[in-house]
Amino acid sequence: MVTETAPEFETQDLLINVGPQHPSTHGVFRMVLEVDGEVVKELVPHIGYLHRGAEKLCENNDFRQGVGYMDRTEYLAAHNAELSYVMAVEALAELEVPARAQWIRMILCELNRLSSHFMFFGAFGVDVGVFGTPFVYAWRERETLIDLFEEISGDRMMYAYFRAGGLAWEVPANFKERVHEVLKSSRQGVKDFDGLLTENEIFIARTKNVGIISAEDAIEIGMSGSSLRASGVNLDIRKTEPYLFYDQVEFDVPLGENGDVFDRYYVRLQEMEQSMRIIEQCLERLEDGPIMPEKMPRMLRLPEGQEVYIRTEAPRGEYGVYLVSKGGNKPWRLKVRSACLSNLQALRQMSVGQYVADAIIILGSIDIVLSEVDR
Amino acid sequence: MTTDGTTPAGDESEASVAELVDTFENTIWPSIDRVLAGVDVRPERGVLDLIVHVPRADVVRALRMLKQGDELQFNYLRSLTAVDNEADGVDVVYHLYSIPKNINVTVKVTLPADDKVLETATTVWQAANWLERETAEMFGIRFTGHPDPRTLLMPEDMTDVFPLLKSHPFAEIELLQGELLGHERGAGGDE
Repeated sequence: MVTETAPEFETQDLLINVGPQHPSTHGVFRMVLEVDGEVVKELVPHIGYLHRGAEKLCENNDFRQGVGYMDRTEYLAAHNAELSYVMAVEALAELEVPARAQWIRMILCELNRLSSHFMFFGAFGVDVGVFGTPFVYAWRERETLIDLFEEISGDRMMYAYFRAGGLAWEVPANFKERVHEVLKSSRQGVKDFDGLLTENEIFIARTKNVGIISAEDAIEIGMSGSSLRASGVNLDIRKTEPYLFYDQVEFDVPLGENGDVFDRYYVRLQEMEQSMRIIEQCLERLEDGPIMPEKMPRMLRLPEGQEVYIRTEAPRGEYGVYLVSKGGNKPWRLKVRSACLSNLQALRQMSVGQYVADAIIILGSIDIVLSEVDR
Repeated sequence: MTTDGTTPAGDESEASVAELVDTFENTIWPSIDRVLAGVDVRPERGVLDLIVHVPRADVVRALRMLKQGDELQFNYLRSLTAVDNEADGVDVVYHLYSIPKNINVTVKVTLPADDKVLETATTVWQAANWLERETAEMFGIRFTGHPDPRTLLMPEDMTDVFPLLKSHPFAEIELLQGELLGHERGAGGDE
């Protein structure tokens, strides 16, 4: 006997709250998903849990102290964050930075890019579901880099090593050898990742054609860094508006084609090769010399009514510092342009229409640092 | 940063802006002046980028003119924020970048301190969405026509506190820190 089914079923969309405390959100981030079965129909991100008013704090502290607050915005690539800030102060104070300091800054920023990207691979592997191996591989490599940073600055994450004008102190005597050592192990680490994930069938099935964003949309939303280049937009501030000595070294800018999760992963992997290329050239050019300008005032005062917007290519994209001076020894206004905040704006567009499980890896593929988003 | 503020290749300035070209040599001002014909703009030389002051009523029209058209193509909004100048009002600052031409410009509009209302730029760039939400909650600016005028970083119920205004007090611990350092805001103290 055949029973007749009811002509119409009523379906109901389900609201799922992810975060604020959830391992896959890479910090304190909350998103509310509206799902129809397994498919995301709407995604509402909520941020601000880590807002601590870094900009206001900088306005109340002098130029030397601001470096510390910059470390705490982008703690996975603190050298890059410090760089934008000290460059902004230098631009207004018209300080001439010695060549040796510039080369060391470049080496440290690129090393920081390596350590930051290793962090991404480890966390991203977990998001995709390869728990264990990539995570431990990434931590092993990142540890060697962080040990080097500790030898130089005394701290593993919040370096406070750059100063307006140059560097806080000289690097250790065995700096060149140590960087070569670290590069050797990092190069092997990148190879390991390449072998472990890039051609892994399961990994490709999870990441190819997932979370696509077109070049036009990515520009319109204001994305930057590797996430933008994965969509095929050739925008790398190190090339378009060279700072430090990036115009004196050779490197390529890897680009993606589809703007999907896989491309965002693969662009970062290729970028690490290029970073190592840059570091090797820097080491060749590095010569002895001063690391601070000869005539450095004890208390920095900036001219009145001046402003500058400095942008640099940090591992997560454009890290901008907008500094307004009205005289005195403190910034009148200091704005941090967060790369992650702008990249995160694209999350909704990338995730709607995808599976719930994919929403997690899409978030992972943007590589956000919540303390930089919220500042 | 080398390419900023230089005239795009092959750009010949017009005779009508000859007087202004004298003061803004080697900048993108002639092109901007041409593109923003009909808008009452005032240029200012910045440390890196050219700054263009735009009247409040025309700001979104001017931004759209800068984005569209083949000459400049400012298709990328780098940053959007505000600066509290106390009695002189609040400046809203747009940092624009043109990916095809590799040029930058800073657009500024001044709002009076007692009437902080401005038309939204989300109709020009989607990127302005969250940036305007943050600027609104931090400075008490109302962006008319904004598609999603909720708070971004601040709690949902804190809509009457504007932390980045100069009139907003620091927390006690911060004031104490300042006293221990022995200097007043802006005045500075030697040793």
